[in-house]
Amino acid sequence: MDDIPISATLDTIRDRIAELINEGRGDAALPLLAAARVLGMRPSEIRFLRGRLHIQAGRLREATTDIDAAMSSAPLDTALLKCRSALRRRTGDREGAVKDAAEAVIADPRDPEAKLFLGQALVEFGRGAEGLSCLANALQIAPKDSRYWEALAAALDTEGDPDAALSVLEDGIRIFPGHLSVRNRAVLLCIQRGNFAAAAQIAEQARAAGIVDASTLGMAGHVLVSLGEFERAAASFREALKLCPEDRNLSRLVATTENRTDTSNTPAIFLRAIFDGYAEQFEVHVLSLRYSVPVSIRKLLLAHPKIAAAESIGPALDLGCGTGLIALAVEDLGIGPFTGIDLAPKMLAQAKAKGLYTELIENDIISELSVSTRRWPLILAADVICYFGALDEILSQTLRSLADGGWFVFSAERPAFDLRVEGVEDRAWVRIRHGRYAHTEHYIFESLSAAGFQILHMEQLPIRQEAGINVPGLLFAAQRVDRDVRPRVQ
Amino acid sequence: MSGMGQFTGRFLGTGNGQSLQPGALANILSRIGSTSTMAGVSDVLAELDIEVAGNDIKPAVHLGRGILLAMLGRQAEAIDTLEAVTILTQDAVLPLRWFAGILSRTSRVAQTEEVLRRVGTLDLENMQIRNDHAVALMRLHRHSEAQSILHTVLSHNGPDISILCNLANTLVCLGDQDGALATAREALGRSPLALLSRRALCNVLPYHQDVTGQAQLRAMRECADALTRVPPRTLANDRDINRPLVIGLLSGTLRSHPVGWMTVAAFEALDPNLFDLVCLTQNSSLDDPITRRYRFASKKWIEIAHISDTQLVELVQEHSIDILIDLGGYGDAGRMAACANRLAPVQVKWVGMQSHSSGLPEMDWLLTDRWETPDGFEDLYSEKLLRMPDGYVCYSPPPYAPDVVSLPAIKNGFVTFGCFNNLAKITPVVLETWAEILRDVPTARLILKTHQLSDSATAERLYRSLASLGIPRSRVELRGSSGHRALMDSYRDIDVLLDPFPYSGGLTTCEALWMGVPVVTLAGEIFASRHSTSHLCNIGLADWVCDSVSEYIATALAKSSDIDDLAAMRSALRERMQRSPLCDAPRFGKAFSAALRRAWQAWCLGGQ
Repeated sequence: MDDIPISATLDTIRDRIAELINEGRGDAALPLLAAARVLGMRPSEIRFLRGRLHIQAGRLREATTDIDAAMSSAPLDTALLKCRSALRRRTGDREGAVKDAAEAVIADPRDPEAKLFLGQALVEFGRGAEGLSCLANALQIAPKDSRYWEALAAALDTEGDPDAALSVLEDGIRIFPGHLSVRNRAVLLCIQRGNFAAAAQIAEQARAAGIVDASTLGMAGHVLVSLGEFERAAASFREALKLCPEDRNLSRLVATTENRTDTSNTPAIFLRAIFDGYAEQFEVHVLSLRYSVPVSIRKLLLAHPKIAAAESIGPALDLGCGTGLIALAVEDLGIGPFTGIDLAPKMLAQAKAKGLYTELIENDIISELSVSTRRWPLILAADVICYFGALDEILSQTLRSLADGGWFVFSAERPAFDLRVEGVEDRAWVRIRHGRYAHTEHYIFESLSAAGFQILHMEQLPIRQEAGINVPGLLFAAQRVDRDVRPRVQ
Repeated sequence: MSGMGQFTGRFLGTGNGQSLQPGALANILSRIGSTSTMAGVSDVLAELDIEVAGNDIKPAVHLGRGILLAMLGRQAEAIDTLEAVTILTQDAVLPLRWFAGILSRTSRVAQTEEVLRRVGTLDLENMQIRNDHAVALMRLHRHSEAQSILHTVLSHNGPDISILCNLANTLVCLGDQDGALATAREALGRSPLALLSRRALCNVLPYHQDVTGQAQLRAMRECADALTRVPPRTLANDRDINRPLVIGLLSGTLRSHPVGWMTVAAFEALDPNLFDLVCLTQNSSLDDPITRRYRFASKKWIEIAHISDTQLVELVQEHSIDILIDLGGYGDAGRMAACANRLAPVQVKWVGMQSHSSGLPEMDWLLTDRWETPDGFEDLYSEKLLRMPDGYVCYSPPPYAPDVVSLPAIKNGFVTFGCFNNLAKITPVVLETWAEILRDVPTARLILKTHQLSDSATAERLYRSLASLGIPRSRVELRGSSGHRALMDSYRDIDVLLDPFPYSGGLTTCEALWMGVPVVTLAGEIFASRHSTSHLCNIGLADWVCDSVSEYIATALAKSSDIDDLAAMRSALRERMQRSPLCDAPRFGKAFSAALRRAWQAWCLGGQ
């Protein structure tokens, strides 16, 4: 017999479990869930709550099992439908996400969250106009919840109407002046549009309103560099560094901007802000941009001697793995196991959900490579080099991390011929939009050679489309070789 | 590891509302109580983990797990586990008490108070719970409520040292310095040898208008004498003068807190090739930006909240600390008892509950400056004075501080004096002095803002005090607590800040200056009475420092009468401060580094 009996009612326990899950405190909810089972909570309800706990912990497969089981006994439950719709979006089942959210809306037409989920799912499914209508409708029902403003703005941006997206975010800022993510989204949107002055203004308004956030300050610093205001940029980076002292890129940026030189790469927090904000839509977004890099890398890897000989190659390191698109594109070639590195935890969660990586590391690439002693036969970097200006450090660290004979396959972005940046022709690389850098073919070639790589392959290709126009890019394969071994030039 | 028994004993041996019956709970608590090592704690936890994995849900087992997790320093897991138990068992007192006990060692003060209030309603006669509840209320700056509870307990249960000491602390926070001192002395009279009562006197004395340097030093020495000592251990640190040094920071406030804002830039500025930082810390949160800065600057980060002073002495041996810097004093998370047993061959007292000397013979140095402790003040300190060339702290202004606005007197047509220090510092003499200034400037207003003024009864009492001195309510505005940014923004309404005395403003003075508001101060004899003096002199405003009450009044009147000069000063003050040694972290870091090396050399050469 226990000395302290359970005296809480099932209703009390149920409510507290939900509250704890909402607070992100799954560990505290676990004993309660066990108690609820003993007290006779319905199995479907237990599976629903357990499914939510799995989702929170990123165990999407287990979550799917539990939520599916829960739904088998309550197929029209709105909460379950919404939950599964969100889950399906995370696992890439866009059609299923639309279906569940639509049924939730039918079950409860006044539920704004159901409409929010439906709108987001529709946009991701390629039915943008319907999605936007749904999101606008959800916002009308719940105008005091900032999520709805952000979701509508994100959808408008995805659907190619950044002006309207910014307008929504500006309204959102007026309604939620203390809300950080609305402001950050607005800054980010302005950066993406290349409107640095507007981005700087929104960031400054945030500072004046007392909003202090490393991402905002990092983005502001970046924007101010773009505007040539190095002293203010340095101050902004310094403040960001105080909030994010472990960010090595940021400390380098402080040093470089203090010396009034150009920046050499993009701060980690800036990338984190971009990609964490985008994580859920990123995959759809890049695919909709006809992101061809994974397919091109796959074609290139077919020329690898081991793959050509139907031998396996691995382990492989995926730098800036994002949501795991590369592993998805090449894993059937006998490559693996995969280890991924990325800054953005939400992107990593999506990569994890794909089940293709044995290890996912949340860190910036330079920091990780500089301390790692592991040597890899294959390192991939798709759409990553474009976040570095000068390439000396990333290339030397990558070379150091390659096993003898190991391949480094990566994509890069080339400056567009009509890029109106002063002196671009004379420069090895140039900062473009969205915090990215474009590199000349010559510069990459020279940098690889200087780092000690043997260059195996180089080709020009469009790496994606923006506004229907090809973005010019480059694809390289380079090898680390012993001095006395001749490279196998393709 | 004798601390284990102490840790659990308070809960195992008490609990008026619930006696232990034979069974699972008694068995589990008995196993915990008899555990004497960390390995033993882990073993019992592993046994309970197996029980938890079974299908049955036993709150007692989860309670045991929560207790063990806390003993192992796994605080977040302990809180999650214990909260779950309290949800399941609702009104059972023991889980709630444990939950409150763990919570009280975190910064979740509001939740602690809520749980203790609930326990109090379930176990009405338990004096200890009422006392704990009062302490939680004090941490929330709800001193009137705390005072009421403590008075009730005293009237029901008679005098008790612990209750009297807390009452003394509450009274001083309410601005009743006389009552606080009398209560502390009553506690001391009843228990003259107790550390608790001696500490209470040390806490309240510096706020009293009659405090002197010698009186405060005597009180501190008596407090230090009451600390338990174990036989001294041999310190085997290499006496190489020039080698890199391991610096230990002992503090429960390495976070967004006055100690954090005043010290973090200094540690960041130390050369990592010459100094390894080991932070011995409590109640830290990775979400806190100042904590993150400390963590990044330090080589080791060790949570010590769950270990006893004796264990701390043992633990520190592993890290070969050369210089220990105490930033906690006799505060809530202070570890002076550990310092009394020497955590390092060189021990330095710096900010953090530093009203004056520590009085501790084992504290070798006190980090100070020539304004805090001018030549001739040496006899007022038990430590040797490690004087910095500029100020004794380096201020890190918060990035969210609002921009400085123009002088309010220009728009208002009258001068507004202000003081945002806590009521403990506002003595009857301070009020009389301010009243005289306001009487001499009939159009002037006074704005006071502090936590305690959120309580309407406290505010009403202060209004009446000022009215009795001839200052009507219409000329006074009393404001309660707000967020930190809002507090800093409130300086937009202030033209001149009037510093309290004898306990001057520290961080408050820095914040006022950062917001463009100059400060009139009266330098006193104890360390706490010269903070503003140090900060003002450090930024070149020595002419705002006074030596007597009459000079203080004359200075306030003269400075506030020159609106143009005030306006010009206000618009330039932030930049002036930014460029001064007060905010110059690299400069401070060099001086700090040299001071630490000087202290180290003194030990190496056997000069201590």
